[in-house]
Amino acid sequence: MALVVFFTMGIALWHFTVFVPDRFWQGIVGAFIGAVVGSTVFGLIVQEASGKSLGDTDISTALLAIPGTLIGLAVVYFLGVRAEEQPD
Amino acid sequence: MGTRRRHLFVLLFVLGLVAVSGLVIATKETKLGLDLQGGLELVYEGQPTGTASDVSGQDVDNAISIIEQRINKLGVSEPEVARLGEDRITVSLPGVTDAERAAEQVGTTAKLFFYDWEPSLIGPQFLIGGRPGQAPPEKVIKASEERWKAAGRNPEKPLNAQLFSGGAYPTAYDAALLAAEQEPIENCETCSVSKPRYYLFEKQPPHELVAGPEFTRKDLYISPTGEKRPKNGIVVKVPTGTIVVSEYPTDPETGQLDETAEPAWFVLKDQPALSGDEITDPEQTYEPQTNLPVVAFQFTDEGREAFAEVTRKIAERGQARAIGPVGVEEAEGLSGRFVVILDNEIKSAPLINFAQNPGGIDGRTGAQIGGGFNNIDDAQELATTLQIGALPINLKLISESQVSATLGSQALDDGIKAGLVGLALVIIFLLLYYRFLGLIASIALGAYGVIFFALINLIPITLTLPGIAGLVLTIGVAADSNIVIFERIKEEVRAGRSMSSAISAGYKRGISTIIDANVVTLLTAFILFVLATAGVKGFAFTLGVGTIVSLLTAVIFTQSLLGTMSRSRVLRSPSVLGASGPGKRWHYDFMGASRWFFSISGVILIVGGLALATKQLNLGIDFESGTRMKVALVDLTNEEGVRSTLEEAGISGEEVQQVSDPNLGDNVFQIQSHELGPGEVKDAKAALAAEYRIDNEAFESTSVGPTFGQQVARSALSALIFSLLVICGYVALRFDPKFAIPVLIAIFHDILITAGVYSLTGKEVSSGTVAAFLTILGYSIYDTIIVFDRIRENVPRMPRAAFSQIVNRSMSEVLTRSLATSFSTLLGVFSLMVFGGATLQDFAFAMLVGIASGTYSSIFIASPVLTAWKEREPGFVRRRLRIAEIEGGRVPAFADDIEMAKLGRDDEAETGTPRRTEAPAVEAAPGPVATVEKTDESGNGSGILAEGDGDGASTSSERRQRNAERRARRQARRKHGRNR
Repeated sequence: MALVVFFTMGIALWHFTVFVPDRFWQGIVGAFIGAVVGSTVFGLIVQEASGKSLGDTDISTALLAIPGTLIGLAVVYFLGVRAEEQPD
Repeated sequence: MGTRRRHLFVLLFVLGLVAVSGLVIATKETKLGLDLQGGLELVYEGQPTGTASDVSGQDVDNAISIIEQRINKLGVSEPEVARLGEDRITVSLPGVTDAERAAEQVGTTAKLFFYDWEPSLIGPQFLIGGRPGQAPPEKVIKASEERWKAAGRNPEKPLNAQLFSGGAYPTAYDAALLAAEQEPIENCETCSVSKPRYYLFEKQPPHELVAGPEFTRKDLYISPTGEKRPKNGIVVKVPTGTIVVSEYPTDPETGQLDETAEPAWFVLKDQPALSGDEITDPEQTYEPQTNLPVVAFQFTDEGREAFAEVTRKIAERGQARAIGPVGVEEAEGLSGRFVVILDNEIKSAPLINFAQNPGGIDGRTGAQIGGGFNNIDDAQELATTLQIGALPINLKLISESQVSATLGSQALDDGIKAGLVGLALVIIFLLLYYRFLGLIASIALGAYGVIFFALINLIPITLTLPGIAGLVLTIGVAADSNIVIFERIKEEVRAGRSMSSAISAGYKRGISTIIDANVVTLLTAFILFVLATAGVKGFAFTLGVGTIVSLLTAVIFTQSLLGTMSRSRVLRSPSVLGASGPGKRWHYDFMGASRWFFSISGVILIVGGLALATKQLNLGIDFESGTRMKVALVDLTNEEGVRSTLEEAGISGEEVQQVSDPNLGDNVFQIQSHELGPGEVKDAKAALAAEYRIDNEAFESTSVGPTFGQQVARSALSALIFSLLVICGYVALRFDPKFAIPVLIAIFHDILITAGVYSLTGKEVSSGTVAAFLTILGYSIYDTIIVFDRIRENVPRMPRAAFSQIVNRSMSEVLTRSLATSFSTLLGVFSLMVFGGATLQDFAFAMLVGIASGTYSSIFIASPVLTAWKEREPGFVRRRLRIAEIEGGRVPAFADDIEMAKLGRDDEAETGTPRRTEAPAVEAAPGPVATVEKTDESGNGSGILAEGDGDGASTSSERRQRNAERRARRQARRKHGRNR
């Protein structure tokens, strides 16, 4: 269930990237991948490190997805900016 | 064949089909599932035992064969035994009410034993059949003859004579009386049965066997089908150490046991030489020298010793009967046998010829039974018998579902009512909205209903509650196909086409959309059918067949119907089709507003995510395992009363909830607990019946074991993943790979919103919910496909427009159609929710959420994502830049035809090509402000008309458009070259 929560929160936060200039690598789809992968991977690592099982969820599980999503989005954004700046 | 003739031919064909279907409906009965007629469904899982490490397909097939044999003895009408997945077996027993007895009789492991025949026979039977080579005493033969005649059986009749000569008794009653006279062997460890067994016979001669063998007297009176058994019958107790077995005669023509003939009975000392557990690898093979069929098998170590011992004894006895050395043929008449007995029935009696095997059969290299088989089938049958007896699997009951006939019949009534109301609502909507076209669609829906129902009877499809849900959904699918085409026809009529031309163009253009949408629905149904559990299969199959039939009636039939009438007076006026006036055209900046809809979705998903984290999902017993019972009581009570009654019956830890049922009233209780065995369910029912009386046998129960729950969850997940992959693959192939990703994102959006809704509302998630939702996903992509189809069509028509403008234009053209299709489906769902009863209401809720989120996401998620992604393509980036240049830095929501024309002139000036006059624009599009307006469709300018829809009137316009497109392409190529 924790995985579903991470995934849901990742997608939820991705919706707000429409307010950010579209400089993500592969645009809105790249941002989607960044948000989902970031929230899921980060959430799983922290959940594992804290010794909680994947079936064990509470409000902190949902909040845990936020930093992961932001990291994922930042990475994709950085990749996009770098790709734009590189000459063809 | 001319068009008119073709239309007439199709009409006659469909009408003929309807007539034949009517005949089928009148003559063939509908096969109802257990949930609609009442009965018991058992799901067994084969689990390995002994030496085997896994369960093979052959093991499961053998288990099915023995279950079928046992069910035949239960007297259940139309039972069904089917394999489910690799190691599961479902058994459907209509009319069976006693789950415990049925489960006991159907699912116990088959018992196979080998007996040394002659010494095992008792009394007169031994004197006749137990001394090969010796004539039985005259007195004994005479007594046996009288016994057979008294039983009304002629001992000289060929089939009877076989049994009579072996010393068999003509009736089970005679044999049981002989057995009852034997001394019991207390605590017998070498016997096949360690307890005495009881038989129930009719009181009147010839004392037919009513029931048995059973371990208790009480069990004799409990029939799994609920049939009454005579209380005044004769009960015979057979003591431990003695068994009664039956034998069928052998058909002289086939050489196989004739199980249609009347059997005879033997009484044996219960001292088996070895059991089926000691046999391994039985198989039908061929004797290498003679090439005749034989049955070969191996033994376990203990089995080998026991087999060597018994065959040695049989051979020694034979030798003792012979006077001096004898040949093989002469020895045959003096040799003894061992018999193979499965479930108290003699299956084979091979001879141990002492001349061939003077020291018996060692068994180190296995053993084989041969020489007596008339054909290969005979040998195969014995091999199967041995395989069943040596079955290395235990059948574990993992799910049990029981529905009373009363509740089944109510569910059927509810389902029929929901289906009819759904159909009526859809017809009313079509008539009101599409007028004459609606009438045509209604006729097609009527034809669809008749043909589909006939197919259900003819195939036959077992109609279940989920199947009815699928049926109601297909009514929506059938209506949708008409809506897609009718909207197209209306567009063509408004564009000025003649009626016949509009009908022809409407069908031509609508058909690809319909095929795309229906293929997706079919793919989802197919995946569900392959991967889902039994109940859901009915839903998927009904949906699949319904979708195919709807293509025939909603597309081919209506086309011919309209085609035939296209030149008639009725169709002269566009108002008859609801196509008078300019029509409604949405003029809304969908792409501009999408960021706000994205925000709404984001907020909904955050709420859903928080709910999932804190409340999780209320997974039903399908996933979590447990038992659920529903019972309507006569005497008024409350939840506490029911709970304490159950506790007194030894059932604790259950949740009791009082529910209201429109058919059963308010004194209805739903009880949910950990998994209960069939016996515990029976105890619970009996306790409630004794305390409060059960209303007209209205009781149903479902028990699901943990392994079955895991299987359901796994199959649901597999179905979801496969559906996603297949749908995306199809969209990528039919449209453009870039179109598949937004579809995928929209599906994720729909799934998570639905999960959030279920978490927030606390509604139970069952396997049916998942199936309904998966199907709706496929169906919801219908909307996305309609929009994407129009985008695909508009891209070449609008060669200078920004992608957002193309999408806005496409959305404005198809939104009415999308809303109408969703609405017609919602009418069916609404009918299910109101009239469908509890199970169908669960389906309907999942469908409601699915349709709502699916329609929303196709408009506000899939299309904006596609736009944002496509606008990054260099070609569309250049278009945006050019439009922004002209528009003072902004890109209008809709392609302004004047500005487009200006862009064309700029291009021409740049290339030096003389300018040609573009079609005059009637109306300038508004800016990016979100507004909804009525506009004249034709006023949207050259974009649509330039494609060549104008009945020849727009030929020059088409030419101009093509030239403009060519110029744009040349220009783009040159610019691209410069950039590089």
